Formats: sequence, structure tokens, C-alpha cells
Amino acid sequence: MISTIRSEWIKLRSVRSNLVMMGVALFVPMAIVLLTVSFMDVLSVSDATIAELLAGSGTFSVMMLGVVGVLSVTQEYSQGTIRITLAATPRRVRVHLAKIAVVVAVSVVIMAIVILVGRLAGAAILDSRGFDGTLGYDGEGAVYGALLVISMVVAVLGCAAGTITRNPPGAISALLLWPLVVESIVGGVLGVLVDGWKQDWMPFQTGLNGVLVSTHDLEFGRWGSIGYFSLWVAALSLVAVRLLRRRDA
Amino acid sequence: MIVVDDLTKKYGSTTAVDHLSFSVAPGRVTGFLGPNGSGKSTTMRCMIGLDRATSGTTLFDGRPYSRFDQPLREVGALLDAGNAHAGRSARNHLRWIAASNGLPVGRVDETLEMVGLRQVAGKRVGQFSLGMKQRLGIAAVMLGDPRVVILDEPANGLDPEGIRWIREILKDLANQGRSVLVSSHLLAEMAMIADDLVVIGRGRLVDQCTVAEFIDRHATKWVTVRSPSLDRLIEVARAAGLEPRRVGDSAEFHGVDSAVVGELAAAHGLVLHQLASQTGSLEDAFLRVTADSVEYHGESEPTR
Repeated sequence: MISTIRSEWIKLRSVRSNLVMMGVALFVPMAIVLLTVSFMDVLSVSDATIAELLAGSGTFSVMMLGVVGVLSVTQEYSQGTIRITLAATPRRVRVHLAKIAVVVAVSVVIMAIVILVGRLAGAAILDSRGFDGTLGYDGEGAVYGALLVISMVVAVLGCAAGTITRNPPGAISALLLWPLVVESIVGGVLGVLVDGWKQDWMPFQTGLNGVLVSTHDLEFGRWGSIGYFSLWVAALSLVAVRLLRRRDA
Repeated sequence: MIVVDDLTKKYGSTTAVDHLSFSVAPGRVTGFLGPNGSGKSTTMRCMIGLDRATSGTTLFDGRPYSRFDQPLREVGALLDAGNAHAGRSARNHLRWIAASNGLPVGRVDETLEMVGLRQVAGKRVGQFSLGMKQRLGIAAVMLGDPRVVILDEPANGLDPEGIRWIREILKDLANQGRSVLVSSHLLAEMAMIADDLVVIGRGRLVDQCTVAEFIDRHATKWVTVRSPSLDRLIEVARAAGLEPRRVGDSAEFHGVDSAVVGELAAAHGLVLHQLASQTGSLEDAFLRVTADSVEYHGESEPTR
């Protein structure tokens, strides 16, 4: 398994488009947080300001890391290397698990850097601008913990979507449109048709809401929302693995 | 040793490989021949588990491919030289393959050297010609120093020097005791490279034998005769029930042994300047034996 993981890591880091996506996931949210605290009105800063900024911009990172998960799989199909991969490792489930291990590790590292740099440098910038209040509050760690977990879950989802579709544009579209469009439309329709329907039953949006600073409105709470979404991702991963084992390469 | 036993692959109602059985002996190059669409590539994919065989087995030294924990050390397969990420360097392409089977990084440079790509190891595969990709594919095959080598059309896109190179590589591999299975459309090349042949048509085995046996069994055979009394010879041959054909200043006799023609000439006191048995090429034998298996025919221009 270690050799398969090492192989997947070499694959991921040896293609420029993957590095670009990882760079975007790393630098864009940091830039958003640091530029915002550099120019915002210091008087409007609260103890949760940096957590709110990181929750918002971190969600962008989460989606980009999901795309990295998609690319780690679909590049293999679009470039034909899946045949070499599966010939080198006939135990196909091992290949899928190795891909998940690599993109999850990459996601955790990138998200941790985003959080650390955003939190520490953001606080330093606010200090230098004369902010004399307190930054941080009791639930702040939970927001960052949720960001780390959701980045891993979406990366796993990216691998599953890539394996099911085997098509880069298809998988990326599915990943991005699902929470942004599909769940809004489906949830809206079901809300009209089904008595007692709750929008929080839509898994992707609910999972992403788990990183919000305020979770009072969440049906399942912070960790319940992320757990509910994770169950969906686990189910899709099982479908993906089943297809991977059955299909001709 | 590769043993393919009763292999069948169906896609819906289409049978691509139909109860195919053959073996590939160590120390020999086995040519895998068949018309387009006859199931060669499908067979190769099924052999290493990329496509799920509907039924049948393939054993490598008695073990199925799926049982190998590090298969690249046992079987090296090049099915399509295009199976490489265009944006990845040749060295990184080989590095991830080597890493997947726990092969030392040093093998990457060794195999790049072996195929003559060391100087361009850092170049992206997308900038490679088809011939360079073939060489990179061969390097990937040799990473694990496997006992079995399977190559699908390895000479595609190679220039004459490259074709000679692949010929020498394949012969070297066989001389080292490896089992080598190679498909190719270059029949003249195959006649030079292969010791044995497996010929298939419409997914079924047509014949398995040595190249010499295949030509002997299936190629056209005829006798060429030159004589100062050619017209007389043709006349007596026709009277004897033979069907000679005059070609310039010689005559060709199909379907008879040279001894029959020689004795006929002697019986009539006719002088012969040449009496030669002729046999068609591997291409001739292949085209004759697979004539019924070809899916896509082109019309050749009528001879004038």
C-alpha cells in the first residue's frame, strides 16, 4: 500500500495543472483574508472576524481541493495511464484508497497552512493597524476543525466523482454544480412538493454549512451536518469502488 | 511461460475473443497475428486483467496476473505507447511506475539509458514523437526486469533504425530466457523476429506453430521451370493433366511437386535450365489463412 501511495503522490505532483490547482487552493483564500483585514474598517472587527473570513474563503479552497481529487482520477482516464496503473496494481481498491490517501493528505496540509497563516498573519495585520480588541472566541477551534474535516471529505468526493464519470469536465461540473445549482433546484422543488421538507436534507450544502461560525440554524448542528454529508460521500465512494472493480480499463 | 486457456471475451452480443487457447514458450519470440479487429489487443488486455474475461484463464508460470503483488517484476506489458500523461516528463512517468511496484529509482535511469532516452528524460512526453513514446513504453516494460514481455504493435511509428532496434531487443529478451509475445502488422518484420506464431481470426485460434511450419502449411507453393523447349514442355504438361502458366520465358506449375515436373520433362527428353520449388512469404500465408476472418476489405485494382 505504501508503494501505491508513493506512486500516486509522484503522479499528483509531477503534472503542472495539479500544482496550479493546489496553489490556487492555498494562496487565494490566504490572499482574501489578508487583503480584507488590511483594508477593512478596524472599528468593525469583532472577535470572530478572522474565523468568518477563513470559513468563507476556506470553502473556496475546499472546492478546489475537490477538483484536485477529481483530477487525480480523471487525468488517468483522459491520458490512458489508468491501464498502466491497474496493470501495476491489479488490486484496484488499493489504487482508489491510495489516491484518497494522497489527496486527503494534500488537503489537510493546504487547509492547515491556510488556517494558520490566515489566523496568525491576519491577527498581526490587525494589531499593526491599531485593533486593540480580542481576537478569537470559544468556538473558533471548531470552525477550523470543521474546515479541515470538510476539505478531506470533499477531496474523497472528488475521487469518487472522478471514478464514476471518468471524465474531467463531467466530474468537475458535477462537483461544482451539485451544491451551487442542483441542490438549490431540487431542494426548492421538494420543498413545494413534500410536507415538512427541510433544506438541510440536501447533503452538500449542509456539509459546507458545517464550517459556518454560527451554527444555530443548522438542523443537524456543525458535526451532524458534516457527518450527514460524509455518509453520502461514503455511499458514493462505495459506488465508485464497485464500478472500478467491475469495469474494463 | 504463458498459458492462455479457453479465453472468451464478450461485449454484449459481440464476441471479441472466442474460446482462445495458446501458449507462449520461454526463450522464444512468439508473434501474435490477426487482421484488424480480430481480438489481439482485447486478448492482451484480458491476459493482464485490464478487461474482465467472460470466461477462461491466463497463467504466467502457473499463476494468474491478479495474484502478483508486484506484477511488473513478473510481466512487462506495453499495450499502447500513447498511455502516458503528455504533461509529465519521461523520468517522472517511469518514476511513478517504478514506485508502484517498489522498484529502485536507479532502474528509471538504467532503462532510459537502455532505450536511448537519457538525454531527453526531463522533457515532457507531449513533446515526444510516436517513436520516442514507443521507446519510453519499452523502458516502462523493462523497469521490473520481467520474465514475461507482452508488446502490442511495438514497431508502430518507429523509423527503420528503430525497427531494427526493437528487433534486436526482442531477440535479446528471448535469448535471456524470457517469454516474449508481440503483435505486429509488419509481417516481413515478424518473419525475421518471431520463432513461433499464434494466428487468430475473429477471436478464434487459426493456427499455432513455428514461422517455418506456418509458411509451409499455408503459403502458396509452386514450381518455376526454364527450358529451351518451354512450349513443348507446357504442351506435354497439359496433356498430363497439369495446369502450367507461362510467365515470360518461364513456366509456373501450381499444386505439384518439382519432382513431378522434372520427371515429366525427362520422360519426354526435354532439357531444363531451371527447376525450382517456390514458397510464398509469411504475408502470403497470413493473407490466405485469414482471408475469411478479415472484417474490412478493400478492393484491389484489377491487374491489367
